[in-house]
Amino acid sequence: MDEEYDCIVLGTGLTECILSGLLSVEGKKVLHIDRNDYYGAECASLNLEQLWGKFRNGQSPPESIGRNRDYNVDLVPKFMMANGEIIRFLTHTDVTRYLEFKQIAGSYVYASGKIYKVPSTEMEAVTSSLFGLFEKRRAKKFFEFVQNYREEDPATHQGLNLDRDTSATVFSKFGLAPASQEFLGHAMALHLDDDYLNQPARETIEKIRLYASSMARYGLSPYLYPLYGLGEMPQGFARLSAIYGGTYMLDKKVDELVYDAEGKVCGVKSGDEVAKTKLVICDPSYAQDKVRKVGSVVRAICLLNHAIPNTSDADSVQIVIPQGQIGRKHDVYIACVSSAHNVCAKDKWLAIVSTIVESDKPEQELESGLKLLGTVQEMFISVSPLEVPTADGTADQVFVSRSYDATSHFETVCEDVHDLYKRITGQPLVLKQRSTQAQEQADMAA
Amino acid sequence: MSQQETPTLKLLLIGNSSVGKSSLLLRFTDDTFLPQDEVSATIGVDFKVSMMEVNGQKYKLTIWDTAGQERFRTLTSSYYRGAQGVILVYDVSNRDTFDALQNWYTELKTYSSSQDVVKMIVGNKVDKESSRVVTYKEGAAMAQKLQTLFVECSAKTKVGVQEAFEELVQKIIETPSLWKKQQTPASTIRVSSNGNDDEQEASLCAC
Repeated sequence: MDEEYDCIVLGTGLTECILSGLLSVEGKKVLHIDRNDYYGAECASLNLEQLWGKFRNGQSPPESIGRNRDYNVDLVPKFMMANGEIIRFLTHTDVTRYLEFKQIAGSYVYASGKIYKVPSTEMEAVTSSLFGLFEKRRAKKFFEFVQNYREEDPATHQGLNLDRDTSATVFSKFGLAPASQEFLGHAMALHLDDDYLNQPARETIEKIRLYASSMARYGLSPYLYPLYGLGEMPQGFARLSAIYGGTYMLDKKVDELVYDAEGKVCGVKSGDEVAKTKLVICDPSYAQDKVRKVGSVVRAICLLNHAIPNTSDADSVQIVIPQGQIGRKHDVYIACVSSAHNVCAKDKWLAIVSTIVESDKPEQELESGLKLLGTVQEMFISVSPLEVPTADGTADQVFVSRSYDATSHFETVCEDVHDLYKRITGQPLVLKQRSTQAQEQADMAA
Repeated sequence: MSQQETPTLKLLLIGNSSVGKSSLLLRFTDDTFLPQDEVSATIGVDFKVSMMEVNGQKYKLTIWDTAGQERFRTLTSSYYRGAQGVILVYDVSNRDTFDALQNWYTELKTYSSSQDVVKMIVGNKVDKESSRVVTYKEGAAMAQKLQTLFVECSAKTKVGVQEAFEELVQKIIETPSLWKKQQTPASTIRVSSNGNDDEQEASLCAC
């Protein structure tokens, strides 16, 4: 470890591993350390022993649950938008060669005490009881607007200015009822609260387009999920880094960052070893003095012996419970996967219920979601702080990532990677297509 | 013969640093040998592809190297996924690398997708006969204890390398459960870069 590196990365979460991979491919000498003895940090997928170790200090998992090795339990509930930026990261780096994906079987939204499938085909849309007939016509007009909108063609703008007019203004232009607005804003644009209504409509329109194009890609839902759990993704990027010379150390404590006389980082200390570097990238847990808390997320990881009721025995689903339905400020989300994704034993399901904390009794805030699950066999509750860096990192060359937020996908993680890359290198990140296997080896040999 | 009919087998190399995993791979796929100082830190080899014919049937072998992640015991669990054959390599002139086999075997058992994955212990560097510290008998006894195949070889002199891979592949072919596993479960998706940048037309639902 007592060597000099271009860059030392602390924590093997997805954000950090993507950056390690990208910087290694560019020829940087990278040392990547994690204090845990497994990859993934906050977005790891744990086996039963690790899960019980984390949440049930010292106890062993009951035998009825199945074999340790059959489990890869996510800590963070996120899926991949099939047409999202995460897919671009995976394909351009060809980290997809290490992964296999499966569709999430359905996306649901909660309304008036029941859950409804978000229509994935025209047929489902026409027959869905989610909206009345007249409302369907108005929604159709809105979708046509979104689909046909071209920035360069003012005729498609229908007199709206997406940078000035708010989402509320756009919705009212199409005469959309509150129920439709809630569906569009929460089940499709996946906004976590209602603040978007009074903000320029562009973001909402883009999010709806992303949802629709992702849905169009494979059909059942807009989401993909990696077999063996989300933890496979940071591992894939870690392997990419290693192939290009990155050094990995797990189960390695990090005692402190070392600074030079000018206050710039110059090393990382672990025990009596110091690795030299001019640049550190880390997650908030490695730089608690450089982050501030902007909120908390409460998550309940639940093990079930059955599919979530009223989802046609789906092997996987997302359920959005819009805040307006349950008298909250923030939506409650359920993300459910199962043995079909090689994350748990046969005939088991894993569901994570989550929301942004609004009170001093976070567990109770999950109640509306937990009620939809039926009998829960085991439950693990955690409250995680949402932390963001207080500085951009250019002054001391310590670049801190953001916590994994409450959104149900990886788009904000990708935004953070873009943002960090620009702060670190001064250049915008341009994803280049990784060479083929043959080309790669020829380049390496040269 | 069409390309699709060629079954693909995933093979892995594991074992301590500097036992010659990359050298074995290079000898088998490219029939070359690089001195230790030129390959010392494995950089750049993700996997190599090789064709092998067994009983008149062609097989495509993808043989994966550790990318140096064995050095601090940080191989990713995903490295082991879907492998049908695993080669555990030690250096016959280094006792520590032989003693480490038990740990590698445990890690392999933890992460391999199938219980039936074919395992082979390979004692490399038999060209260094004068500095040998692990006897053939000890290697064979370890293989018997862990119920694996066993071969001694030298990536440097070629001795035993081809035979090792052939025996491993033969055994995989004789293990039907590995073939059932090989069929990808229905509806899994391989996300490839081909055509991925095509602008997807957003077909919005008409609810």
